[in-house]
Amino acid sequence: MDVEPILKVTNLTKKFGNLVAVNRASLEVNRGEIVGLIGPNGAGKTTLFNAISGLYRPEEGTVFFKGMNVTNWLPHKICKLGMSRTFQVTRAFTHMTVEDTVRVGAYNRFNEKNVQDKVDQVIKVCDLVDIRKRVCEDLGLASLRKVELARALATEPEMLLLDEAGAGLNATELAVFMDLIKKLNQESQITFCVVEHVMQMVMGLCQRIVVLDSGEIIAAGTPNEISNNARVIEAYLGKRAVHARNQ
Amino acid sequence: MNVKNLFNPRNILILIGVGIALAIPLIFNASQYVMLLMTTVLLYAILASAWNIIGGMAGQLDLAAAAYLGLGAFTTGTLLIRWNITPWVGMFLGGLVATALAMLIGFPLFGFKVKELWYALSSSALVVVLQSLFMMWNEVGGPTEKYLPIGTSPWYSLRFNDYMPYYYLMLIILVVVLLVNRWIRYSKLGYSLLALGEDEDAVEVLGVNSQSSKLKALAIYAFICGVVGGIFASIYGYVHPAFFDTSMSMEIAILGIVGGMGFIYGPALAAIVMVSFREVLRASLGSQLAGLYLAVYAIILIVVALYQPRGIAPLVERGIKKAQTYFVELTRGRRADIKSH
Ligand SMILES: Nc1ncnc2c1ncn2[C@@H]1O[C@H](COP(=O)(O)OP(=O)(O)O)[C@@H](O)[C@H]1O
Ligand SMILES: [Mg+2]
Repeated sequence: MDVEPILKVTNLTKKFGNLVAVNRASLEVNRGEIVGLIGPNGAGKTTLFNAISGLYRPEEGTVFFKGMNVTNWLPHKICKLGMSRTFQVTRAFTHMTVEDTVRVGAYNRFNEKNVQDKVDQVIKVCDLVDIRKRVCEDLGLASLRKVELARALATEPEMLLLDEAGAGLNATELAVFMDLIKKLNQESQITFCVVEHVMQMVMGLCQRIVVLDSGEIIAAGTPNEISNNARVIEAYLGKRAVHARNQ
Repeated sequence: MNVKNLFNPRNILILIGVGIALAIPLIFNASQYVMLLMTTVLLYAILASAWNIIGGMAGQLDLAAAAYLGLGAFTTGTLLIRWNITPWVGMFLGGLVATALAMLIGFPLFGFKVKELWYALSSSALVVVLQSLFMMWNEVGGPTEKYLPIGTSPWYSLRFNDYMPYYYLMLIILVVVLLVNRWIRYSKLGYSLLALGEDEDAVEVLGVNSQSSKLKALAIYAFICGVVGGIFASIYGYVHPAFFDTSMSMEIAILGIVGGMGFIYGPALAAIVMVSFREVLRASLGSQLAGLYLAVYAIILIVVALYQPRGIAPLVERGIKKAQTYFVELTRGRRADIKSH
């Protein structure tokens, strides 16, 4: 039974002038999976996410989502089809309240009559009840990351791209966040592709890992395979391991 | 309980405001100067409130208010002068003409996500371009004023001898525009625009079409400016390319910013205070310093930017909240007193 992947990227290239940020990258994500996308700083992970979600137009390659060729689609159309995302550097609507922020996303599939129910539901799921009336500029990083996830979740996506959603969180906050993602994956059947630097999160969360280095995909496999892959150790884990040992 | 809720400080303030606004002509009707001043204040309050939709909510620094106002004025004026079509119809057609041009300009600008300085310059250029065009287009504009005929009925030609009817007309439009503001603010469009004003990419990945949302905002704004332009022509009794006034466009934006970006009553409030002040300044300093008020505006703008970057509306809002708690405590306290007796 060969089920079609929910996301299929083939030979995607994105350049900034002379700099090739993503170089002929191919990647598949199956429905229901949590896939990790890792790689050193500047590897092109964010750029790849931007190209998939429609914020950048790739020079080459195609993006298939749910069997549709969505290359060069506008971001809001891709969202309508069922994909949303969060950002590495949180991009909160600073002067809006948590509730209003979530509402922006909820309008994706709901109208004035039933949007409030969706907002309430998402706020509950993401554990934002206590701060729902707070203005985003007053929130700390951990709350902001949850709000970004919540507003994306409110669009009722089938797939979510999370760009370093764990960055800057402490161990407790990270554990809470991981539990939430696992819950969403299991209960709401949302497929995830997560860019992550925090290895604890990648290893604990992902069924499969794709490694990007200098714009190219150098490995893909289970967490176990990846942590034993020589190229990966050299490109990414090696540096980290050396760094960790030195600390 | 509902009745009690009606008498909160906010509603009392609104009631007092409406009461004063309704009573002004009865008190000042003797002075046509004061009536014109008050009508002008309302005109600016309307335009600044309309600007709030595109500038305050959508975050586009629009400087084309006078372009749309002028188009409305020329449409209304020309229809009356040439074909004797009543301004009651003309002003709506003027609104539509303004909207049509706004869509033509807005489509590419929003498509390419033109913002901030670049959008301000492009929209500002529109005013200048239209002024030159209407200066050359002798059939409709030209360097001499084209006068609107009074005809047989002032109600048909909307040409009254005193300012009272214009004043009430403007007051009605202001109330409507404030209600439209309120309706947009608490609908899908309003939430989308407020978010778009903060971070466009982040909103688009939530399924919002930024181009069409902003086009809607621009359309509503341009339509209001166009309609008001029709009344503007009727008040002055002529049309002239000077209606395409860059400094007026700037003034509208300043009122919107000072009033509080995205706050419903802020821009109208700012207009009432600042335009009255401007007129007093003009009356006391005479015409040799005609542009001075813009300098004063600039200083106010800088002070607000430094000390109250979200405009005066949040300040007023906080004041009302404080009054509200005080009010509640007062009624509670009084009840406690009654019980203890
Ligand atoms: N908007 C941009 N303009 C020019 N260069 C960019 C831009 N965004 C990213 N880059 C460059 O592309 C490369 C990949 O960046 P990025 O995708 O952010 O990496 P990562 O997310 O893996 O850390 C880097 O060398 C970065 O400097
Ligand atoms: Mg990145």
